[in-house]
Amino acid sequence: MDMIGMAITIAILIAYAIIGSCVGLLFMGIGRKIIARVHNRVGPPFYQNFIDVAKLLSKKTNISHGWIFDLALLFSISGILLTLLFLPIGGVQLLSMEGDAFLILYLLAIPALGFALGAGASGNPNAGVGVMRALVMMLSYELPFIITLIALMIYYDTTSLATIVKMQSINGVKSWAITMPPFMLAAFAADMALQGMLMEQPFDIPVAPHEIASGPMVEFGGKYLGSLMLYKAIALVAETTLFVDLFLGGGVILHGRFAFVINFFVWFALIFLLFVISILIAASFPRFRIEQAFSFYWKYEAIIAAVSLIWVYILVIK
Amino acid sequence: MGLYIGDKMMKYEEWSKLARKVSKKSLWMLHFCTGCGAIEMPPVMTSRYDMERFGIAPMATPRQADVLLITGYLTVKTLRRVIQVYEQMQSPKYVIAFGSCTINGGMYWDSYNTIKHLEKYIPVDVYIAGCMPRPEGIINAFIKLMELIDEGKARGWEKYQKYYDKYKENQRRVFNFEIEGENEEY
Amino acid sequence: MKSIELIGKGKEMHGRAYIEVMPGELEDIIKKLKENGFNHFVMLSCIDWLEEEKFELVYHLWSYEVKEHVMLSVRMNRNNASMPSMSHLFPQIETYEREIHEMYGIEFDGNNRLTPFLLENWHHTPPMRKDFDSEKFVGKLYESIPFIGEDENEGI
Repeated sequence: MDMIGMAITIAILIAYAIIGSCVGLLFMGIGRKIIARVHNRVGPPFYQNFIDVAKLLSKKTNISHGWIFDLALLFSISGILLTLLFLPIGGVQLLSMEGDAFLILYLLAIPALGFALGAGASGNPNAGVGVMRALVMMLSYELPFIITLIALMIYYDTTSLATIVKMQSINGVKSWAITMPPFMLAAFAADMALQGMLMEQPFDIPVAPHEIASGPMVEFGGKYLGSLMLYKAIALVAETTLFVDLFLGGGVILHGRFAFVINFFVWFALIFLLFVISILIAASFPRFRIEQAFSFYWKYEAIIAAVSLIWVYILVIK
Repeated sequence: MGLYIGDKMMKYEEWSKLARKVSKKSLWMLHFCTGCGAIEMPPVMTSRYDMERFGIAPMATPRQADVLLITGYLTVKTLRRVIQVYEQMQSPKYVIAFGSCTINGGMYWDSYNTIKHLEKYIPVDVYIAGCMPRPEGIINAFIKLMELIDEGKARGWEKYQKYYDKYKENQRRVFNFEIEGENEEY
Repeated sequence: MKSIELIGKGKEMHGRAYIEVMPGELEDIIKKLKENGFNHFVMLSCIDWLEEEKFELVYHLWSYEVKEHVMLSVRMNRNNASMPSMSHLFPQIETYEREIHEMYGIEFDGNNRLTPFLLENWHHTPPMRKDFDSEKFVGKLYESIPFIGEDENEGI
């Protein structure tokens, strides 16, 4: 029995990885098409990123800088897969524990550590600068995000993601967190933090190709870059799913035995909507410098998030 | 070498044909902006003559790029850096040479410091004639490169590996300005 | 013209002042012009007079107040040409002297930055001299490097 259970778990794990990367690559391709249309040009076909990953994985020479350099890949993919397992997708969550809302934020930091190792091993000064900026960016967007998370936790009186999703799915759309006024403000702040998490413009200074020659990824080529693209695809899915779980009820609108299918489609539509909003913001903004991004997050965003926190606290006390 | 898919074994030729079919649809270019031709790249990349619809995207570092664009003349000093960039790229890699300066010296045919035939120093797959070629010509060259990749004829990187000694000898002679024959002080 | 009045010699050529100077008095003349409003150093150029066997260095100065262009011309012998460096008067003269040293072969005493600038590993005659035949050089060097051919019978 144990072997069968383990085999099912491994199969579900592989299914998660494949679905996550396929959905992510599809989104990235559609994102490029949308940006191209905003620029008034034709743009690549929407399946372009699949071809890119296939091309990268079929390169003949792959230059590595040692075993620490290979570790960067391992950290990023395993970290993001672990995050995906903890997130409820359409109401179905593979792993859960108390306090997993905080655990997710820690798990999201593991890939950045992997990049730091890889950049250090490659010995390129551009990589060092890029990694420093990536870590500063991570430090800056976590503050407003944590404040909104605390607001949610105070209102729903729990630290487990599954409970937050369950309490928002009681009445369908009417009980989503975003319909309440304090959480509209918090959702706005969290959306800006999401833009930084996804490393899209205006917050894509760590991976800017023209400024610092792609930052931490400057020495990655061939199979390494292909795996990194897969990491980016899965990270896209994981971070937008986190937002949907916190504010939009996780896409759960029906209960019952086979409601999973409907919930899956609702979840898909919601993360697509979020992704389109973030791409449209990215297409129309230039790049911030790192000190501008830092002051944006810690001054204006933090004020908005703190206002929503105080509002929720007053609501809860009353 | 082969790849097992079920009971059939995919032979090396079929596998590499699949790899070539995929790689021709997503060429990533690194444009080494030396010389006058660099001014023709921004029109190709932006809205009017969009090249991203073919899957071609500009990349910042040689480790991530497939295609090296040599846009114009090369002095001996720049050639040394171009060789370093070319050797950092990962195979399979292709070279496209713009303009008449790479074909036979062009406007600088009697200059003491520019190289005349690029083919002697790195293997070139496609030449584009013109001084400078129009963006339509550049896109035509990319399509020609895609056709060559599809047929398996774009084998510049293999030629470089096979004749590595001869290429290095040519490069060494031109970096040191060595005149053969009498070792005269010219 | 103001510079000709200041120095006391020279003539006007195409709207610019042209003063011929001996190498020893160049520094004092530049200092005097610099104090009197000619504080923009434009260029340092070199001319190779092959038949007379002389090099001519021309220092160009400009004054914003009276809008006047002065050319100070120094002649020296073509073999073992050397000249004291003027880079303590205007700092940008250092780079011009570096280029002229590489292209013509003139030594500048006092300039300790005469390293290769535009050419690397150049051990032939300085290329801008009139007795350097560029076309023949190209034929000897670039045309003599062989093409790397691909045999038709060998496959990869």
